[in-house]
Amino acid sequence: MYSWLWRKLPGSRMQKILQAALLTAVALAAMCFFVFPWLDEVVFPETNTDI
Amino acid sequence: MSDIQELPDGTRIIWAPIVKPKPYAFVTQVLGEVLLTAGVILMLFVGYKTLFQDSLVGNQQSEFAKNFTESDGFVPLDEVTKEADIFGRMYVPRFGESWTRLIAEGTRWHPVLNEIGIGHYSNTVMPGEVGNFSIAAHRGGFGGAFRDIDKLTNGDRVYIETKETWFIYKFLETEVVLPTDVGVIDAVPEKLDGATYGSRYLTMTSCTPIFINTERIISWFELERTQNTAAGMPRDLKIVVGSK
Repeated sequence: MYSWLWRKLPGSRMQKILQAALLTAVALAAMCFFVFPWLDEVVFPETNTDI
Repeated sequence: MSDIQELPDGTRIIWAPIVKPKPYAFVTQVLGEVLLTAGVILMLFVGYKTLFQDSLVGNQQSEFAKNFTESDGFVPLDEVTKEADIFGRMYVPRFGESWTRLIAEGTRWHPVLNEIGIGHYSNTVMPGEVGNFSIAAHRGGFGGAFRDIDKLTNGDRVYIETKETWFIYKFLETEVVLPTDVGVIDAVPEKLDGATYGSRYLTMTSCTPIFINTERIISWFELERTQNTAAGMPRDLKIVVGSK
């Protein structure tokens, strides 16, 4: 999967590294701002605090 | 297995058999990568919960509390009826000179503890009344409003600003109890040394150990004095946090 993605990235090795870093950053941002907040609601549903 | 053939000019040819890929090799490779990716995402989620979200929500709650103006209006204490009614703002110098959070009615995660910060146990009295004004907040995650509750010590004070009155409570004692020890928020708190009827207590409750949450940490305070809101911020608090 990752080797396939690597092969699909255009340009030289350095350009591929930069594109891969950019894609990773975008994926991380998407997870922090969209996926994880949603996952948080699913994993930790509304709960009463017991003292 | 491979054979090496050497030509007269010294060139070496290595003959190796062609290995036919095993059936489903592609599927297992992709499955392995997906599982590894899932593991990394789960670790990132833990990091998100403990670092990113905690810090982000903490800042949001703090800014919300600081910017909550008179025009937004605290609900008067005798008119608090609905969940999430915001009736006060809390200052705890021990938690930091810029630390402040709003207090709202109810202790559910949504919409009180996760979004606003501090929740009031609806079955306990309001600030300043005889009995035990009890509040809860997260220790870790969602801003961890009471993260440093274990650092409270003798001489510490908490300041609660409401629509008409400032309530200043002085620290008494901290205990770690089981989640089933609900008597700690009684009008005469269980486990509080020397607790008596007729006193005006404040009980702060949170989870412990941090991020494990198998026990509860309780800090008790007793009302020391009150002050009219019109007189401004209490002088001793003003020294710590500066003028508003």
